[in-house]
This record gives sequence, structure tokens and C-alpha cells, in this order.
Amino acid sequence: MASVEISALRKLYGDVVALSDINISIPSGSFYTLLGPSGCGKTTLLRTIAGFHRQNSGTIGVEGAPIEDLPAYRRDVGMVFQDYAIFPHLSVRDNVSFGLKQRKVPAGEIARRVGEVLEVVQLGAFADRMPHELSGGQQQRVGLARAIVIEPKVLLMDEPLSNLDAKLRVDLRAELRRIQRELGITTIYVTHDQEEALAMSDIVCVMYKGVIQQASTPLEIYMEPTNRFVAAFVGANNFLAVSRDGTAASLAAGGADVSQALASLAAGIEVVCAIRPETLHVSTGHTAAEPQDIAVPARLREVSFIGREMEVFGTTKAGDEVKAVARPDPQVVALAPGSAITFRAARKDLLFFESGETGGRVA
Amino acid sequence: MSRLRLRFEFWSVVTAMVLVVLAVLLILPILRVLMLSFVDADTGGFTLGNYVEAFTRNYYLNGFKNTLFVGVLGTLGACLLGIPLAYFNARFHIWGRAWISTLAILVLVAPPFIGAYAWIMMLGSNGFITNFFASLGISTPTIYGAHGIILVFTLKFFPFVFLMTQTALNAVSKSFEDAAENLGCTPWQRFRKITLPLVFPAISTGAIICFVLSIADFGTPAILGRGFRTLSTIAFAAYRSELGGLPTMAVTISIIMMAISMLALVAQRRILAKRRYASSLTNLPVKARLTGWRNTGVHVFCHGVVLVAMLPTLVVIYTSFLQTNGPVFTGGFGFESYRRILHDAPQAITNSFLFSLAAVVLITAFSALISYVIVRRENAASGAIDFLMMVPYLVPGVVMAIGFVTTFRSGSFDLVGTTGLLILIYFIRRLPYGVRSTTSSLRQIKPSLEEAAVNLGAPPLKAFLTVTVPLIVPGLIVGSLMSFITAINELSSTLIIYDSGTITMPVKIYLAVLDGEFGLAAALSTVLLLCTGVCVYAVFRLADNRDSAFV
Ligand SMILES: Nc1ncnc2c1ncn2[C@@H]1O[C@H](COP(=O)(O)OP(=O)(O)OP(=O)(O)O)[C@@H](O)[C@H]1O
Ligand SMILES: [Mg+2]
Repeated sequence: MASVEISALRKLYGDVVALSDINISIPSGSFYTLLGPSGCGKTTLLRTIAGFHRQNSGTIGVEGAPIEDLPAYRRDVGMVFQDYAIFPHLSVRDNVSFGLKQRKVPAGEIARRVGEVLEVVQLGAFADRMPHELSGGQQQRVGLARAIVIEPKVLLMDEPLSNLDAKLRVDLRAELRRIQRELGITTIYVTHDQEEALAMSDIVCVMYKGVIQQASTPLEIYMEPTNRFVAAFVGANNFLAVSRDGTAASLAAGGADVSQALASLAAGIEVVCAIRPETLHVSTGHTAAEPQDIAVPARLREVSFIGREMEVFGTTKAGDEVKAVARPDPQVVALAPGSAITFRAARKDLLFFESGETGGRVA
Repeated sequence: MSRLRLRFEFWSVVTAMVLVVLAVLLILPILRVLMLSFVDADTGGFTLGNYVEAFTRNYYLNGFKNTLFVGVLGTLGACLLGIPLAYFNARFHIWGRAWISTLAILVLVAPPFIGAYAWIMMLGSNGFITNFFASLGISTPTIYGAHGIILVFTLKFFPFVFLMTQTALNAVSKSFEDAAENLGCTPWQRFRKITLPLVFPAISTGAIICFVLSIADFGTPAILGRGFRTLSTIAFAAYRSELGGLPTMAVTISIIMMAISMLALVAQRRILAKRRYASSLTNLPVKARLTGWRNTGVHVFCHGVVLVAMLPTLVVIYTSFLQTNGPVFTGGFGFESYRRILHDAPQAITNSFLFSLAAVVLITAFSALISYVIVRRENAASGAIDFLMMVPYLVPGVVMAIGFVTTFRSGSFDLVGTTGLLILIYFIRRLPYGVRSTTSSLRQIKPSLEEAAVNLGAPPLKAFLTVTVPLIVPGLIVGSLMSFITAINELSSTLIIYDSGTITMPVKIYLAVLDGEFGLAAALSTVLLLCTGVCVYAVFRLADNRDSAFV
């Protein structure tokens, strides 16, 4: 159990910047998730912490002690690998005791600790199996047991669930979290699955192109994204163009004057408006807005009824593609493509960002 | 900080050590040979005279032409046998397919010079086939000379073309052939226009191996040549006659041999570079069932080729059990030949095993380290090592040996003694077999396994020994067996280096053949064949893909 401080960490592959100026601070015992699209540098960051890559500059501190210059085998950070990396020539028991043997732990204690940890990951009965006699999920548990039995200061996991099927992934997710809580071990977890990240973490850190975009609690990431990339990546948001003319501002698609929300923003800055799909309501025909709402007229492109909810896709007259997820409405489901519809949302649910891939939040 | 340095240092130290070893044992001798070829033997000054002489004097020019002639025709012959054999085995149900490829592999690994002298026993001036036909009043063509050498090369090297082409044919998606047929190709057109071009890279690789080996082969032309000289016999003879002085002509000829091999390889790479086909193997080729005379014909061809190719080996084994009195076969069976090798050549047997095993121990250790450097550490040094691992294939044994002798032994100065020299030359020449097999084994092991070990606290060497090595053991063993087979059968470089105390089985056999002591040669050859056979059997048991382990 230990806090982790990373500051000004930089890692280049040749002249490709994989990590630029990473600063993160992880409280002791928390579950910290690195979330981001493929190639954003998550694995690189994790492997740099583990000592498999050498950083170009910056420091990594565990419990205040710098570890960035230690060789990987002396860092005492446990790692769970995406492909499990279970030693195929060793039994489950020998895999799990590998790290303890390296640490010259007495045989009696090894037996005891291995027994305990196998119980924790519910593999007590499998101690003498060989890895090829285990399922993928069981192998992943061995990987976890092997990493936590050495009681590392920090536990690193690189997409540990990505090779498993959907059902198992959800089960193991809960179990991982339970074990982590029980042991209180500081954990850095990598995933590109936003649902997984939001469900498991104390803190979610969204990365993009080697840069940290936002690190906050899952709720804050979702409700209050600080820039457009985070909003888009986490919420699958709709982005509507905003026309500004001096102090006046309105949605290009029509149906909403947003001057008030943008009153404090300097003129000339281009802005987009983000609305999460589940905050949109859909009604048939074109109708006007209430004062606390906006109402964007659109043409229905497609509606798909998927049981619990319906997904409505429309195109505004400004050409914005809009998606709404709402409770099924028989009238809307029955509409033919091309029909007039109105997307409606509460003004308080609108988020404004400067345009550009990682434009900051405004207003 | 110092700890970190240490971590990076372990594999850097290994890399550096490997580079030094290769520089001393591989690059230095070759450079030495290259340098000597520009030295005037009388004055010791720089000269181009050696090359001028090599390309103007008829003696050398003929050697040059002869080498190309038997090399090209031998390769062609190997293709003519190997390609149909591969096609039949890959596309038709052949009864006894495993048997055919086993025999082909045995032909491949049998000591190279056995073929030559076994053919003498069959078709030589006193050969039993010759005598048989003579008793009927029919005269048979003599085996000596170019056509004999070409025959032996053809029957000795076709397995390379066969095995490589077969592997490639098995990987050609059936969809291509179906598409061609659908577009109206007859079976022959389909083979010529679709299948053949697709497997061309494999065929040409097999062919280039045949060519390089034919150029380098010493035993066959030495035994069958009778005045028909190739560059390797000329280089050997030149080395012998220049003994005492500087072997400048021998090295010049050596350089020319190497140049031919390299040019051939470069040309093949050039041609291949334009033809790379990505293959997605979704539709596995199927084997058709032939009927009638076609079926018979194909079977006769397939079994016939491997049986004829095995013939020398069978003759040798048979001969070894014939009763002899000195060099004369007295009729009937007996163990006289074996008694004689125990009496005459115990030293050759112990030396052969001693030198080969010592070399294999070195090869095994180095293979493990080198393959790790090649596979896991991607930098300029590991790229250079990877490239250098190809060089021993291209350097004829005669050349390497002359390089060794002129570098490590001159006059009374003898760096490591003859035994050491032989072990080292076996080591460097056979190292690539070990490295290749270990490398392909290591490539199948995920790097995350070693990382997991390191992450759990194992230093690099410990991680390598406890995780990597146990996982590459099969590859290591197959590689060691392959290098053992090829080391114990080594003739050409041993012949240049050995002295009376360090004679080996192949040398003894070669000398016995020259003396007409066929019984002795046959018994010794059988011993060699037995060792080879045992190793092949072990490889069969251990390798994932038994056919491709050998080529
Ligand atoms: N060994 C390497 N050499 C050069 N570039 C690399 C290397 N490893 C990664 N990169 C590059 O660094 C960037 C970050 O890679 P990284 O593996 O950290 O991404 P990731 O976020 O883990 O992606 P994924 O979700 O696909 O696993 C990518 O652009 C990648 O192409
Ligand atoms: Mg990754």
C-alpha cells in the first residue's frame, strides 16, 4: 500500500512522443484507471512505471521514494499482463511462488502465502494444475495471484480482462475490485473500455496522444468533462455547431438561443455544444421550446428499437448528426425515415467546448 | 543508477562478447583470406597478379568453368527431381508419404562424400554394376568425371528443393488454384501459371542452397573428378603445394568461390524482392486421389527417386559387412571391416566424437544467448549478428579452413593447437544450425513471460535461465542435434587442418577411399550413418515440424 507520484514524465520512441509531461498523483490504496483510445500511451506509461521502458525524463515516486532509476526486478510493483504471461512450464503453485522464491522467503511461509492467495482468487483446488489445463479466466486469476502474493507496493494491470468474453469480463471486474479493496492495494489499471473504467475506479484518468486530458472521479469525468475529447470519449456525445455573431449565439441547427450561456466568452472563439444522448427527448413533428429547454428540429434518419430503449438517429438542418437514447415511444418508433422530429434537452444539460479535438470547456 | 546500468549491461555484455567471438572466428579469417589474395607470394607486396593468374591460366579457368558447370547442372537436376516430388506429395495421395520424406531427410544428412564413393563401388571401373554388365558383354558409361559429379549432386541435394517446395505448396490457398480452374485453365496451365509462380520463392531458395553447396563441395569432385577439377579441389591442391610458403593462389581461388556463392545469393534475393506474396491460408489445399496408370506412374517416380538416392547409403552398409582381406573383398559376409576400424582407426572415432561434442557444447550455449539477442534486442548489433549467422553457410569449408590456418597458425606459432582449431572451426561453421532452430523456438515465446519473471524480482540472467531456457529446450536440442550431425560429418576443412594425431572419421574414410580400402571406408561410414540416424530420429521426436527442421 503506497501512494504514487509521477511528475513531468516523458517518453519518446525515436521521435514519436509516446508520453508527454505526465503528472499524476495516486492516493494510497486507490484504484486508478488509465483510459484512452488505442495508441494513446497507456501501456507505455504502465511499462515505464514497471521499469520495462526507460523514461526520457521525469520522476516516478512510490511512497515518496524515487523508483525511476531502479531496474525492473527491484521495483516491487506487481504486474498483471494482458496475455496472462503464466509460465507454461510451471504449475499454478510454482507460478504463484515464483516471486516469493526470488525474495528468498522461507519455504513454510511460501506454502502458507500461496495457499492463502489461491483461496482469495478462488483457485485453491487448482494449485497443482499446469497452465494449459486452465481456462482463460482461471489463467488470469493465476496472473493476479502471482502479482499480489508478493505484496507489492503497487499493482499494475494492463487490460487484464480484454481477452475474456463479455460475461466473464463483468464477473471478474467485480471480483478484481473486491480483492483490491480487501487488500487495499494501490492499483493502476489500464483499459480502453469506458464502462469498465467508470464501474471500477476511484479515479479515472483519460489520456489522448500521450497527454493526460482529465483525471477525476468517474462521475465527474462523465458529468463534468473538462474538454471536448473527454466528453466525446466517455459520453458518446452529440456535438452541435454553434453560430456566434457578436454577443448573440444560437445553435446552427436552429431551435435554441444560447447567448446567455456564452455571455462571458470572448467574441471570435468557435464553440460547439455537446449533449449526451440519454439527456435528449424525441417528439414527432416540429415543436417550439419551453424557456428552460432547447428544441432542435431534425429529420429522422433511422430509429432502432432495442427493447428497453430506442435509439433515434436524426440529421439537423445544419447537417449535425444527432443520436438520442430514450424510453421507447411507439409514435416515434413508427415513423418513416425522413419524418420531422424534434430533439429536446434541458438547458442545464448542455456543455460547451471550444471547437478542436481537445478544446477546453467554456461557460 | 548503477543498478540500472547493471541491468542493461548483462545483455549488452553478451552482445559484445558474441560480436567479439564472431569477429575473431568468422570475420578475421575471411578478411585474412581476402588480404592474402592480394599478396605476391614471392615479394610479399601488394599485387593483383593472383587474380590475373586465376582468370588467365587455363588450369584455373577450366576449374572455374567446371565448378559453374557441375553447380548449375547439379542444381538443375535437383530441381527436376525435387519439384515434381514436392508437387506429387503435396497434391496427391501418395502411399508411404512419411517414408518418402524420411528417406529424403536421411539422404540430406548422410555424409556428403559417401555418395561419391558408393557410386564408384557401383559404377566405377571395378564396380559391381559395371562388372555385372561387363559379364554380359555390355560396357557401361564410367562414373568418373563431370556427369558422375552432376549425378551425385542431383541425388544428394534434391531433398532441399523437395522439402522447401513441399512446405510452400502446402501453404498455397486452394482458392487460387480453384479460381484459375474456374477461369478456364487446364491442370497443366494452372500449375505453370499459378502454382509454380506462387512457390517460386521456396523453389529458388532450395535451388540456391543446392548451388552454394555444390560450389563448396570438396569430397565429390575429389573422389569422382579424376582430372576434372573444380575450384574446391584446385584450392585444396594449391594449398597443399604452397605449404611452407604463402598460400596465395589457394586463397585467391577461395575468394572466387565465395564470390560465386554470394553473387548467386544476391541475385536470388533481387529476383525474390519483386515477388512477395502475402498468403492468407483460409482454404487449405486438398490432396487428390489418382487412379490407373497416372497413380502408378506417380508412385513409381516418388519411391524410385528416394530409393535411388538412398542406394549409396544402402550399398555402403551392405559393403561394410562383406568379408575382406586387406583392400580385397573375398566374398561372403563378415565383420572383418569392423575389426579393422577398431584396430586401425579407433583414434579417428574418438576424435570425431570428442571434437564434435566439444563444438556442440559451445554451439548450444552460444545458440541460446545469440538467439535471445537476435529475437529480443532489436538494435544494430543484434541485426549484425543475425546477418553474420548467414555467412558460415556461404563460406566453403576449404576457404574457412585456409582462413583459420593462416590466421591462427603460422610456422611454429600455433595459437590453440590443432585440436582447438578443429573444435573452433566446427563451432563457427555449424553455429548457424543451432541459432536458427533456437531462434525460431524463441520467437514463439511471448516476451511478456520474461517480463513477468523480471517483474517478480528475477534479474535478467535469472529470468533467462529459469523461464526462457526451459521453454526453448526443444529448439536448443534440435539445433544441437543438427549441428552435431553436420559437425561429425565435416570433411573439407578438417582435411586442411588435421594432423596425424587429430584424424577424424570423414578424413579416414576419404583417405581409405583414395587407397581403395572400400571395406574400411564402408565400415567407418556405417558408424557415421548410425550416429546420424540416431540424431535424426531424435530430431523427429522433438521437432514440431520434422521436415522443415532440416532445411
Ligand atoms: N516499441 C515501440 N516503438 C515505437 N513506437 C512505439 C513502441 N511502442 C509503442 N509505440 C507507440 O507509442 C504510442 C503509444 O503506444 P501504447 O502501446 O502505449 O498505446 P496504448 O495506449 O497502450 O494502446 P492500446 O490500447 O492499443 O494498447 C503508439 O503511437 C505506439 O505506436
Ligand atoms: Mg496497450
